[in-house]
Order: sequence, then structure tokens, then C-alpha cells
Amino acid sequence: MPTLPAWVVQALVIFLTTGSTGQLLDPCGYIYPESPVIQYGSNFTAVCVLKEKCMDNYNVNATYIVWKTNHVAVPKEQYTIINRTASSVTFVSMAYLSVQLTCNILTYGQLEQNVYGVTVVSGFPPEEPKNLSCIVNEGKKMMCQWDPGRETYLETNFTLKSEWATEKFADCKTKRGNPTSCIVDYAPIYFVNIEVWVEAENSLGKATSEHINFDPVDRVKPNPPRNLSVSNSEELSSILKLSWINPNIRNVIRLKYNIQYRTKDATAWSQIPLEDTVATRSSFTVQDLNPFTEYVFRIRCMKEDGRGFWSDWSEEASGVTYEDRPSKAPSFWFKINPSRTQDYRSVQLIWKTLPPFEANGKILDYEVTLRRWKSPSQNYTVNDTELTVNLTNDRYVATLAARNRVGKSDASVLPIPPYPFQASQPVTNLKAFPKDNMLWVEWTAPSKSVRKYILEWCVLSDSSPCVPDWQQEEGTVHQTYLKGNIEESRCYLIVVTPVYPAGPGHPQSVKAYLKQAAPSKGPTVRTKKVGKTEAVLEWDQLPVDVQNGFIRNYSIFYKTIVGNETVVNVDSSHTEYTLSSLTSDTLYMVRMAAYTDEGGKDGPEFTFTTPKFAQGEVEAIVVPVCLAFLLTTLLGVLFCFNKRHLIKKHIWPNVPDPSKSHIAQWSPHTPPRHNFNAKDQMYSDGNFTDVSVVEIEANDKKPFPDDLKSLDLFKKDKVSAEGHSSGIGGSSCMSSSRPSISSGDENTASTVQYSTVVHSGYRHQAPSVQVFSRSESTQPLLDSEERPEDAQLVAESGDRGDSIPPRQQYFKQSCGQPDTSPDTCHFERSDQLSCGSEEDLVRLKQQPGLGHTSQPCGSEQVKALQEGSAADTFGPRAEGHTEKLETVGVEAALDEGIPKSYLPQTVRQGGYVPQ
Amino acid sequence: VVPLLLVLHWKHGAGSPLPITSVNATCATRHPCHSNLMNQIRNQLAQLNGSANALFISYYTAQGDPFPNNLEKLCGPNMTDFPPFHANGTEKAKLVELYRIVAYLGASLGNITRDQKILNPNALSLHSKLNATADAMRGLLSNVHCRLCNKYHVGHVDVSYSPDTSGKDVFQKKKLGCQLLGTYKQVISTVAQAF
Repeated sequence: MPTLPAWVVQALVIFLTTGSTGQLLDPCGYIYPESPVIQYGSNFTAVCVLKEKCMDNYNVNATYIVWKTNHVAVPKEQYTIINRTASSVTFVSMAYLSVQLTCNILTYGQLEQNVYGVTVVSGFPPEEPKNLSCIVNEGKKMMCQWDPGRETYLETNFTLKSEWATEKFADCKTKRGNPTSCIVDYAPIYFVNIEVWVEAENSLGKATSEHINFDPVDRVKPNPPRNLSVSNSEELSSILKLSWINPNIRNVIRLKYNIQYRTKDATAWSQIPLEDTVATRSSFTVQDLNPFTEYVFRIRCMKEDGRGFWSDWSEEASGVTYEDRPSKAPSFWFKINPSRTQDYRSVQLIWKTLPPFEANGKILDYEVTLRRWKSPSQNYTVNDTELTVNLTNDRYVATLAARNRVGKSDASVLPIPPYPFQASQPVTNLKAFPKDNMLWVEWTAPSKSVRKYILEWCVLSDSSPCVPDWQQEEGTVHQTYLKGNIEESRCYLIVVTPVYPAGPGHPQSVKAYLKQAAPSKGPTVRTKKVGKTEAVLEWDQLPVDVQNGFIRNYSIFYKTIVGNETVVNVDSSHTEYTLSSLTSDTLYMVRMAAYTDEGGKDGPEFTFTTPKFAQGEVEAIVVPVCLAFLLTTLLGVLFCFNKRHLIKKHIWPNVPDPSKSHIAQWSPHTPPRHNFNAKDQMYSDGNFTDVSVVEIEANDKKPFPDDLKSLDLFKKDKVSAEGHSSGIGGSSCMSSSRPSISSGDENTASTVQYSTVVHSGYRHQAPSVQVFSRSESTQPLLDSEERPEDAQLVAESGDRGDSIPPRQQYFKQSCGQPDTSPDTCHFERSDQLSCGSEEDLVRLKQQPGLGHTSQPCGSEQVKALQEGSAADTFGPRAEGHTEKLETVGVEAALDEGIPKSYLPQTVRQGGYVPQ
Repeated sequence: VVPLLLVLHWKHGAGSPLPITSVNATCATRHPCHSNLMNQIRNQLAQLNGSANALFISYYTAQGDPFPNNLEKLCGPNMTDFPPFHANGTEKAKLVELYRIVAYLGASLGNITRDQKILNPNALSLHSKLNATADAMRGLLSNVHCRLCNKYHVGHVDVSYSPDTSGKDVFQKKKLGCQLLGTYKQVISTVAQAF
């Protein structure tokens, strides 16, 4: 036993258990009906009947029954307790195609126990089969087919029934999965009517189709004729004879035929009229065929009266009609080669091979004849399609004929014009356009009679030369299509030349596309010039190889990094465009698309950045600014120059110039000989706090204009004078008790003691005590002080008319006008001021103290200014200076009598107090 | 074989002459007969006539020597029990005689077919021709029956059959078959022309 397989043991156990405990398999009840099949959507009631024994065992009754469909409890509302043992459930409008219905009981402990189960199947009864039809394929058994109607969702049997009037045939039952047709078991028997119908049956019903009664011979589909053969006739080049073997059904029925044919290269079939083949036959002669043309034939047949079905097409058979003489003269044209001598020209005669339908056979050779006026003709026999001959410059007439085995074609005549020859009368309104996938050419014929037209065309390409093809059209034609291998998206240059009896006319050309397409490459745009708000874009015309059509327009797309794209359309004739209203200092991305009638193609993207400033804008800003700056600076300088005294007054306080100090005037015992009183008076009112007292030698006899003309010299001397003044002033003013500078002149090497001047009041401060102290300084005196003889020399030189240093002159003037302000002095000195300082003059007059004391000087200067201004001459001034020079000379004479000792002095209020 | 043929073809009154009667009840058909019966009968006769010679040739060819070379002796139409046919009779009479001929031929072809499947099991062409002829006979019989019933109200016709060949030797079987087909070829031509 251990060797027994496990499955054997299991099967044995199940068998023994089932046999010994049969009651275990005995269900507790049953469901009625046991195998319900209902119509879909109908009501259904099932009853579950419990067995008494089971009820006792489980202590249950019909109220304990629970109905379930597909393991889902049915609502109690659908239950009906019939009696103690039976419970029914009702389903309204059963919407399941298949549902498991189980009857269960609730035993002790609410445990559900299955009692019985059935499968409720729903579906539809069969509909009446429609469109029953039968066919008898020759040599096979009859097959009928029909439309079974709607899906029943139930197993439905379709049975094809058939009978004669006198007997019934066996039923034809459909095969599973194919309920729409059936092939009967018996061979068809012709000429006996048979009645056929279909019965469809399932659990819910039975339906029968309409009965059809027919003679099977009227449902025959014959086998196709076989062994179709084609033969030609040497007598007639336009016929072919067909022969075939009829199908065996021919012994039973009469047949009619359908014959079709086509040329070998064609796809469409032509058909022999059906009325020509309505009778049974086994051969037929096809007429009106082209010579030397291969034709393909096929044939089919059916019952003569048209009842039944056409057979399948027979196998194709082909045959070639016999040859005939060429039906047309070849197309004939010529080219004159460029190389020519004075008396001869090389002419290439070219012609086209005749198409098969015109050649009507194999062309053996061509006969070419050249005839010149009143000269014997030259004959050539050529196997090729061209002939090159040397001709004189006379007019020739060439003829061409093609020859095959049967005969010779008509001659094609071509006039070759003399040289030179003026062509004229071209065609007009030449147009080329695609139509029906062909490139058509249309023109208006010239008024002159045209023998024929020659159409030449070639593909325009940048990469390959124009290799022309050509064709010939009759003189009556004014519209044709190019009979060559015309490609799409290629630009064709088409030339039409009318040929007159005297020679060719003037050619006309036109360009065309068979079918345009979008360019295969977009234009490359670049910037020609970029401005602040505009950019000039330029591009090259697309090569014709990539155009694929006529460029109708360009579109320029440009945008910033963040902005929207802007599109500008540009006419195709342009090669540059100016983008305006751009934003400065911005990166732009621009690309360009070229459009044909069929679409466009973008070119590569190009970026450029607009500059921040337009061209010249920087210069326009910088130059005026610089000029303004320069002007301002210049004005400032001039202003400062004009107001240098005021500036000087504020920057460099007036410091008494020791050089102008006069020892003789220091003494308190010495009566004032000059207008020092006025000075004192002026200072006493405290209006002048800083006064530079400058002594100017006025003994210069040189007139003022000379001085003014030498402004540089003046400035130089002025700086020199200022330097002196500054040095002196700085030492005496900035430090009140600072010793004065003494000159180290070797000629005046004697030590001079300076007195210490203690300022009694500075800047409106009245001195309390005037202190004079003896200076212990050994610093040499200033030049003028050290060498008073120089002054004398100056005076003398002034008398002699020699020029004197400006410094001395300045001192002289200052000295002559001690009471005037520096402005006033400068007013007299400067040209610039002399012409524009009347305000100063007014101000000068308005100063009370000054006006009193300086009236003579001031009035003289104003007068001099007025005179100078009026007369524009300095003559009167020079006279004034002379008067002052005399005064100074007096002073100098007085100084000479005074011992050369220098004492400190002050120009402050209180005057000079001798120490 | 005869009972079998009776069952197949003569469900009513098999084995006895079919009396000409006007009782429609005996002419009950499964469905009404077609109105074009005579044309169909003519076509059937023509079809049989057209194939009879080929069947005859196929038969004696298939039987082998000496049949092809001794047709007149072995296959002559000299059957004495073959039902007569009078071409100059009325249509009804011709139809009745045709009925008998077709019934006779149908039974005989059944015997021949059975024998040939045993004697010449590889003669498929012959078998096919025999079957086709037998089928055509069935159709013709049905049409004649319909015609007799519908038009002449003849519900029963007495027919006769050829002797059973099952007990005969092979040569006799072949010879009887060949004689039958030779007779058939001759008679059917006459009948076809008569209609």
C-alpha cells in the first residue's frame, strides 16, 4: 500500500465515503425548477422545499430559509412562505444572464447551511433568421447563409432544412461558432426545385426563416474558364484571338462571358461589351487593338440567363499584336553647337524615339535627309537619335522618318535657318501650372502660322547644370503637359519655341513647379547694423535647391528673452529689413522663415544685443557736457580772475607791506604830507579792515595799452609782486609780532634792526596801546627799501621812457591811490574790468569815507575809464600817471633826506605811530 | 437491393405498377411543385443525354479488357427488360413511360455503383459520373412525379426493375452494367428528343 500513488488513495477514499455515506450527499431540500431558463427581463419565481427529516434534524422550517443570488442574500421582501416546508422567492424583471440561486437555512447559532442551488439562465428566444441565400459553387455542395438576428445569450441551434416537393433531405446543422451558414451534405441536383429554410431554436423558443424555393442551377457559381491563351494575326495588327476551356458546368448550363483586357503597363481594365459574349463559346477575337502592343486578358463566366453568380476571374494571359508601320513622325529638333567656323557651323540634329504606340513595332533605323536650296539632298541612315552635321550658313530643310519591319513613318520636317538669323514672333502669355499631377504649359499662339512648337525644360539647380529635355507639339496645340520625369519640389525652367516654316521663332521661358513644398532650409538671418532702437537684418536668398517652391514671403520672428515673439512679414524680393522700436541694451533673438505656397521653414536663430546708446549719442552728451564744463570752468576762472582781489581779500588778509613803510612818516613829529589823514579817517570808521597798501611806481612813461597788451608779462609780474606781497604780508599780518624779512643783499649787508610792531587792533579791534619796539632782527630789507636809489632810478628811467618792471609800476599806482580800494586799482589796470565794472565804480562812489578822500583819484580814474571807454585809448591815463610820478618823485626826494632806518609800521587804525 | 431501392424511391406502392389515378390524396407533395417542371425535365434529360456517352466510355474503360474492344458484343443495348418508351405518345403517356425508365435506371445505377465501388474502387471518375447520373435520375424522377401529380393527377405508376446482380460473378456484373449503360445511352437520347 505505501507504494500506491497519493491520488489513488484520495480517489479511493472519496469513492468509499460516497458509497457508504450516501445520505450525506442527500440534500435537505430542492429548488424548483431545477434548471430554469427564463427570458431576460421577465419575472421568475423559485420554490425551495425542505425535507421533513432535515427539518427535524436541524429543528428548522421554511421560515429559516434564506435565499441567495451569487452568494448575496435576497431581500426578505421577495420571500413568500408557502407552508412549513416551502419558501418561494420572486424576482421581478430578471436582469441577470446567469445567476447562482441558492436556498440556505439558518441553523442553531445562526449558522447558514446550504440546502440546494440552481443556475438561473436568462436570454432571448431566437429571432427569425433573415436574408437566407444559397450558392452552389461548381463541383462543391450547396452552401446557404443567413442573418441569425439578435444575440440570444442562450445556446441556439440553427438548422438548415431542405426538401424537394417529393422528398426531404437531411438537415444541415450549423457548426458551433458559425451559426450563420451551413453546407449541405448532398450534391446539388440541378433542374429540380428545392425549398430551403432555417430553423433557429433554443430553450425559450423556435423561429423559422422564410422558405426560399429555387432551382440550384440558378444559384451556381461556375468555375472560371481555364487555359486562357492569346494569339495574334499577321494579317491584322489590331486583333488578338482568345481561347479557353469552359468549366464542366458547361455540360449542364449555357454560359455567358465577361472579357477584360489592358495593356501590359496599364492598371485599368477595358471590357469587351457583354452583349458580344452572351453565348457559350470557347474563343473570342478582340479587335481595335494597337499594333505591336502587349495586352493582358482575363475572363469569367456565369449562367447565360444571368441567374447565379459570376465565376472568379481566370488566370491572366497576355499577347502582343503584330507590327504596323510607325503611325507618326518622330519629334525632330536641332541644336547649333557653339564652335563654328566662318563658313560652316556644326548642327546637331536630335529626335525622340517614338513611343511604342506610335512606333508600332521595333524601330530599325531612322532616315535623315538634308536639303539645301537647289542642291542635292544628303541622306543619312542613323540608328541613334542624333546626328551632327557641318552645314554652311545657308538655310536647310531636314526631314526625318522612322522605319520598322513593316514600313516607314511619315517624314518630320525641320527648317534650319540660315546664319545669321533673326528669330521673331514668340509665343505670348506663356504660363506653366500643375494639374492632375502633371506640369502643364499654356501659351497663346502667335498670329503667324506655326508648324510646331518645341518645349524645352530643365531643372534649375545650384549644384548641377541645366540639362534640357524637350518635346514637340503640333502647331495647333497651345496647351500641353511636359512628358518627362517631372519631379516635385524642383524648379523647372520651361522654354517654348514656335517653329515657323522659315525657322524657329523667338523662345519664351517660364519657371514652374510640379508641386511646391515648404523650403527644406530656412534663411539665415544676420544683422547688418544694430542701433539703439533698431536693427537692420539681412539675409541671402535661399538657394533654388532648397526653395522647393516659389518663395512668397519671409517672416521674421524676434523676441527678447522674456517678451512675446513678434512676427514681421517681409516680401520675398527683399533681402534686408529694419526692425524698429527695439529696446536699447536688450538681447534679441531673431529667426527667419521662408514660405512657399505649401508652407514655411525656419532658419537658424540669431541673437544680437542693442547698444545702450545710439551711435553719436555718447558724443552728443559728452561733448556738450565737456564744453559746458569747460565754459563753466572758464567763466569761473574769469570770474575768479575778475574777483581775484575779493578772493584774495578773503583768502589772504591784507598785510602791511613793509616795503612801503616810510621811516620818515613814522615819526609822530613829522606832519603828514600825504593824505594819511584820510587814511586814518577811513580806518577810523572801521570799514576797511584789511587794506593792502601797495606802492606803484608811476614813472613809467610807457602808455597803458602797451602794458595791457602784454598780459602774460603782467600776470607774471603780478605773481612776482604777489609773491613779494605774500611773503611780506604773511610775515607781518599772520603773526603780529613776527619779524619782517630782511634781504640778504650783499650790497646792503649792514644789519638793520627792525622794530616790533604790536598790533593795536586787527579786524575792527581798536588797539589799546600802540607799542613800538625795536626790532632785533637782522633780516635785510626789501629791495625798494634797501635800495631807495632804485626808486630814483625808476623815476629817472621813467623820465627817460625806459620800461620799468611791472611790479614797480604796480607799486607806483598803488601808492598814487592809497585811498582807493584794490578793486578800484585793479579797475584801472585791467582791460577786462575796464569794460564791465561800472558797478564797482558806483559802489566805489557810494563809500562815504572813500569818496571823500579818494575823490580826486577816483574821479580821475572814472574819468579816465570813461574816456578810455569812450575813446578807447589810454592816452589820458598816461598823462595822469605822469602827474603821480611827479608826486612820487617828491616823496623820493624827501626820502633821500631821511636816514635809512626802518621802523615797523602799521596800517591799522591809529595810523603810524613812531616808535 | 430491391427493398432498399423501394424504400428510397417508392415509398408508396413499391414493387407494383403505379396505377394512373385521379385521387389527389395520393399525389400529396411536401410543397407545391414548381410551375416550370417541363423545362426542368427537358434540361434534365439533356443533361443526362449529354453525360450518358461519357459515362458509358468511362465505364467500359474502367472495366478494362476486353470491354473496350468488344463493345457491341459485351455492351450492346440488348436488354430485354428495359422499360419501353414511345416517343410519339401523349405527354402524359411519355411522362409515365419516362417515370418507369427513370425508376428502372435509378435502381440499376444503384446496383452498378455498388458493384463498381467494389470491382473498381480506384475508378473515381466513373464513380463520380455514376453518382451524378444517379442524382440526376433522382431529380428527374421527382420532377416527373410532380408533373404527373400536378397536371395529370397520377399518384401511382407501376414500375419494374432490373434483376439483382449481387449473386452474379464479376464479369457478369461488369457486363450487365455495361449493357445497361449502353442501353441507357441509347434510350436517353430518344427520350430527350421526345420532350
